[in-house]
Amino acid sequence: MVRVLSLAALAMALLLTGCASKVDYGDAQARETVTTDFGSTDLQMIAAKMVDDMMVFPPIVDMTRERRPVLFVDRVKNKTSEHIDTESITDTIQTKLINSGKFRFVDMSVVNRVREQLEYQQDSGMVDQATAAQMGRQIGAEFMLYGNLSSIVKRDDSTKDVYYKFTLKLLNIQSGIIEWSGEKEIRKTRKRSLFGL
Amino acid sequence: MIWLFTRNTLLCLLGAALLSGCATRSLFQPYPDQARQWKSGLAAGAPPPSVLDKGAAGADGVLYLQELGRVTQLDGDTDSSLTAFRRAFDHYRETDEAARLRATGLVTTAGALMVNDNARPYVAPDYERIYAHAYQALNYWRDNDVTGAAVELRAAAEEQRVAANRRQREIAEAEREADQQSIDPGQFDGYFAGLNAAAGEVKASFQNAWTFYLSALFWEAHGEYNDALVDYKKALEIHPDADWIKEDVARVSRALDGRYPRDRGLVAVLYEQGYVPPRREVSLPIPTPHGIFAVAFPTYSAGDKPLPRPLTVRAEDGQQAATGVLTDVGGLAARHLREQVPGMLVRQTLRATGKYNLQKKANDDFGPLGAFLTQLFNLVSERADLRGWLSLPAYGQAARLMLPPGEHRLQLSTPGGGASLTVPVVERGLTVIHVVALPDGLVTRVLPVQEGSL
Repeated sequence: MVRVLSLAALAMALLLTGCASKVDYGDAQARETVTTDFGSTDLQMIAAKMVDDMMVFPPIVDMTRERRPVLFVDRVKNKTSEHIDTESITDTIQTKLINSGKFRFVDMSVVNRVREQLEYQQDSGMVDQATAAQMGRQIGAEFMLYGNLSSIVKRDDSTKDVYYKFTLKLLNIQSGIIEWSGEKEIRKTRKRSLFGL
Repeated sequence: MIWLFTRNTLLCLLGAALLSGCATRSLFQPYPDQARQWKSGLAAGAPPPSVLDKGAAGADGVLYLQELGRVTQLDGDTDSSLTAFRRAFDHYRETDEAARLRATGLVTTAGALMVNDNARPYVAPDYERIYAHAYQALNYWRDNDVTGAAVELRAAAEEQRVAANRRQREIAEAEREADQQSIDPGQFDGYFAGLNAAAGEVKASFQNAWTFYLSALFWEAHGEYNDALVDYKKALEIHPDADWIKEDVARVSRALDGRYPRDRGLVAVLYEQGYVPPRREVSLPIPTPHGIFAVAFPTYSAGDKPLPRPLTVRAEDGQQAATGVLTDVGGLAARHLREQVPGMLVRQTLRATGKYNLQKKANDDFGPLGAFLTQLFNLVSERADLRGWLSLPAYGQAARLMLPPGEHRLQLSTPGGGASLTVPVVERGLTVIHVVALPDGLVTRVLPVQEGSL
């Protein structure tokens, strides 16, 4: 009788813990392989590869020895069949490049808000003109970063294969020369399991 | 002892019936009857009935979500439509990624074997998945999210590609299975004749020229002439006689050489006519070891299909064009059903045998009353699987005009009514007018002009 009861209690406990949902913190850099869709690990791999490639490219090393060139990020075209926030990839790349101390960036996405602030400082009469930022003193970007993210998806009943190719280019705005280009390929394959619930 | 055993079987059966009844709503109420609730009054702006929301949470969720996405899109509620289709795509993904042999799948299949095919959770066929992606693209288009629309159009093309690869293998497999069960689909030729007539000219259940044409227009407007050429050619492959698609192919081919007509913009009318006909139930005699059983089988009747009727668009300068049929959705649905037949025959034979055994056992053990009750159960539970996305149109048609830039007043006329509207035309741009003709009126929407590079 006692054995039956303890077995029942055990079963009950198993059942209850099985049903309870749990929240936990994970490692943000951990490999994420939930699905073949574009995920955090892909983003991190791409950003790391682009920055590493760029920083060791000899002409870039030469160029950044004495000065910190000014760049702006155009955009990365999403040419895949998934909704991917490519701005998030370029943000990570930009952050890494800034933190390397070798590059400076201007941000085209806030131009309107900056203009509003400048107009306020100049025209509102509220700001001490000795400290007000002057119009027409911004530094022009020398280079532009832009690229593509494309994918090839193959799938049948048991397998899905996704190939991503990320290309990033650094273009000299004045000369039109592409000074550097980097590429990262990612292949992910998913096999459907034979048995499951 | 035997009595006890039989009683247990009956209880199990009742349990299975009840459980699967909770799982899918179409088990005892035919789906086309349910669909009437959201199909009526759609053009008049009636809100989607709550049955769609309830159904979306059930085992046939994907079906109701597709309907909800379409109904809310026609209502003009783009946000709800986007959400509904996104949820439907989650279902597609689950289906694609699920283990090939599933314990829960076996249970519902067993339930379906005892009751009817409606107990199997609905799996969206390829042509519905392609349509869902195309409609989602129209949602993004309407929100002027160019990247989003491009992504969905690529996803629709991907579905068509995957479907083409998968199709041949699946049919061969089902036919082999039917062969093993010594079922000869040839003996139901009379039944197939109706189905074949409904399938009409449609050669494959997934080839959708309308979505190809939609994406070709989109790529062309954004200067992606290579992609546009590929999609125009695919549409032309399905409709080799369509002269206007030949013109499109020629125009985009020239564009690839850098020669694109100047001072002209594209105006395209994407016209969807009526509703796809629902499935009908027929009684089919299935031979079993115990004699011939009449079982309910779904089919399409060619008589249910409306005739394709063109829409005519006329510009004030006298240019005009009539839409041509690109996709016969009723045909796609019939062709899809035709492809399912070998597998259904296997299940129906097993089911007929199972029901016979049950009835015999009840008769032996309980006498006439038991036999009567099981007969009643067999009769009530014998229902064909009539599920399918029913707010799809009967025909997807399209026409296009090349007009000089500026504002243009266009006259649209269909047999069921017309409309007059002013649309902007941009040099090398694309203006799409999405027109849906429903039994109770015309839904007309001008989508944001597409131009420039992606």
